Amino acid sequence: MRTSAINNGLRSGVIFGVIIAAMFLIGFTVTGAGLIGKIFGVSSSYSAPAPAFFAIFIILISAWAGASAAPRPIAEADTLRQALSGGLIAGVVSGLFAAVLGLIFGGLLANQIDPRAYLPAVSPDSIKMFLLNQSSLMGSVLLFALIAASVSASAGLAFFLRNSGWVENKSKQTFNALSGILPAERAASLSRNPYARYAFWALSAAALIILPRAWGGYWNYVLGTVGIYIILGLGLNIITGWAGQLVIGYVAFFAIGAYTFALLTAPEPHHLMWNFWIALALGTLTAGIAGLLIGLPILNLRGDYLAIVTLGFAEIIRILLKSDLLTEFTTGPRGIRDIAGPTLFGQSFVSDVDFMYLIIIAVFIVTFAAYRLQNSRTGKAWFAINLDETVARATGINAFVSKLLALTLSAAIAGLAGALYASRNQFTGPDDHVLMVSVNVLCLVIVGGIGNIPGIFLGAFALKGLPEVLRETENYRLLIFGALLVVMMRLRPEGFLPARRPALENRDAPSPSGKEA
Amino acid sequence: MSACIETKKVSKLFGGLTAVNEVNLVVPEHAIASIIGPNGAGKTTLFNCISGYYVPEMGEILFYNAPIQGQPTYAVAGMGIARTYQNIRLFGEMTAIENIMVGQYPRFKAGWIDALLSTRRERNEEREAIAEGRRLLKFVELDGLGDHLARNLPYGAQRRLEIARALASQPRLLLLDEPTAGMNPQETEKMTRFIRNLRDELGITILLIEHDMNVVMGISDQITVLDYGTKIAEGKPKDIQTNQRVIEAYLGPDVTSLTQKYQTRKKRRYDAKS
Repeated sequence: MRTSAINNGLRSGVIFGVIIAAMFLIGFTVTGAGLIGKIFGVSSSYSAPAPAFFAIFIILISAWAGASAAPRPIAEADTLRQALSGGLIAGVVSGLFAAVLGLIFGGLLANQIDPRAYLPAVSPDSIKMFLLNQSSLMGSVLLFALIAASVSASAGLAFFLRNSGWVENKSKQTFNALSGILPAERAASLSRNPYARYAFWALSAAALIILPRAWGGYWNYVLGTVGIYIILGLGLNIITGWAGQLVIGYVAFFAIGAYTFALLTAPEPHHLMWNFWIALALGTLTAGIAGLLIGLPILNLRGDYLAIVTLGFAEIIRILLKSDLLTEFTTGPRGIRDIAGPTLFGQSFVSDVDFMYLIIIAVFIVTFAAYRLQNSRTGKAWFAINLDETVARATGINAFVSKLLALTLSAAIAGLAGALYASRNQFTGPDDHVLMVSVNVLCLVIVGGIGNIPGIFLGAFALKGLPEVLRETENYRLLIFGALLVVMMRLRPEGFLPARRPALENRDAPSPSGKEA
Repeated sequence: MSACIETKKVSKLFGGLTAVNEVNLVVPEHAIASIIGPNGAGKTTLFNCISGYYVPEMGEILFYNAPIQGQPTYAVAGMGIARTYQNIRLFGEMTAIENIMVGQYPRFKAGWIDALLSTRRERNEEREAIAEGRRLLKFVELDGLGDHLARNLPYGAQRRLEIARALASQPRLLLLDEPTAGMNPQETEKMTRFIRNLRDELGITILLIEHDMNVVMGISDQITVLDYGTKIAEGKPKDIQTNQRVIEAYLGPDVTSLTQKYQTRKKRRYDAKS
């Protein structure tokens, strides 16, 4: 039907127009153009990027808008003309949005009014770039033409590609090509061949030994942070992912670990200067005890009390650390400096490469522990409590003790991460322990795939690694987090890599069970 | 024969409502006992008192002559009382065999440290749990379905899996809350035979709540009738069937026998569903 094409075009046009306007108003046009510029090797950290990059940015987004405006080839009535008209309508509508926006802000600029008073992200430079360095009228017309043309062209192209079956063929080919190296097949062949497995582990180990030396300080910093967040994610996953008890103030235990470690090793407030390893163990232990104490009064309640209590606890810890009350003891808002690095046999190793190794080892140990716990009797009890606490109790599980154990282990792991973090930065202060850390960890667990260990790795890389690399998007991190969470809840409520249950029925079923022991 | 479970003047109040009113009940060892009564008679509440989910305000509950009222649910389960639920409550996101392995929780000892270090105890228990899980799956005729998520199993299989999970703790007393609810006549028949097998082969004492009078009359050694929380009759199926008080006082005056009334009602309900 023609009307459906028109409706589709109108809808896509309005959506796309609003997206362009929103991106402009929050300053993302500059960031996006900057990213394009970065691809071409042009850095533009101080001024707005060249209009050409902005044009490319707009064309890229237009391509997506055009593709969504083109009707799917379901009915045979779909013709190229329809696709083009749909695309044209979408392009004209969204182009109008952009043009009107350009006219308004171009006019403001011409009248010497600085919109930054109301919209801090809209700088004169960004307006000029938005108008492609032309006058406001000329720029708006050009922008309109650019958007209209690229949206309708990409709508036609998308229609053509879909109709010719190219996309399907291509995706099938890619899938076939990929399935050759897909985990399922590879795992199957690996399990047949123990040597392949040894080779795989040896190769991974070699890569992990060589890479930190090869890729330099910046990457060691970024990936070290990712590693610490992996540890945090694995820790939070125990109580929230497996036992199903939401903990919002997870940063409290991170802070306790970091400060315990810092106070024991730094010269400044107490001059204790303890050994790195003892302090690391004590940081872990103290955080675990804190988790235990927090859990004692509330974990026999059901529901989300734990979330609220830990939320409050995290804020209390942070404010206490910052307050005058404890300045004597924790140096207050200044934070603690010159925290010790690791030593081994009296020799200190504090280079970024050495620390990266330490973090890799810590990640490895925590991952290993998590895998061991996951499907154990204890892990099953946690998951049973998560799924139905009443029934779990009626099958003989002491839910209170189980949850308490989960929280204690979670907190201890956070303490370990905190101690490592403080030691690597050789500094810790109240501002390292804001609630945003908890939110980050919670997000990476949920987005990656709640309850799933590889999912947490993916989540940490995606949510902690990517923003570090894409520094330009730093300001939009919260926005993207929010959008990502909403989209995830809608499309993949179980995360990118949802947890799978192990196949147990036939494990050591036939005769070899006796021999293996 | 000694008593397996015994309630002495157990009362449970919800605000002003007396859900269970001074109920005395004695179930001998290795017996199949039924509790019947109209909806809201307090049958499930009594179950919840026995399994430790509710604490009765008054009275005593003795399990092999040891008082258990007021004990936490997990402790009661650990002593050897397992149960199923009126509306099936499996761990849906776990596989069938994992459900059974959770059911075996009280039987084993390995803690988190064993899991971390993968001690001999941990490995032995794990292997034993899987073997026992496989055996129970076979017992409830679910072998081959062990690695399916529990929520994906068909209805009858879920009922049987729930019983398997209850059996996994090797209980001495099994509480079944409407085990044939929602089943067609063939499935009901199969479940009845299955319950009798449980008692005959495993020697477990069974206390069940059931609305299907064919099942109740065919299977029970002893029937207790509750109405408004009070016990109004007790005895062998034959006695209950002809007990005028039971028939008139709470099934209505126009029916001649218990079986007839429930049979027609269930049939009607089943026809309406299909």
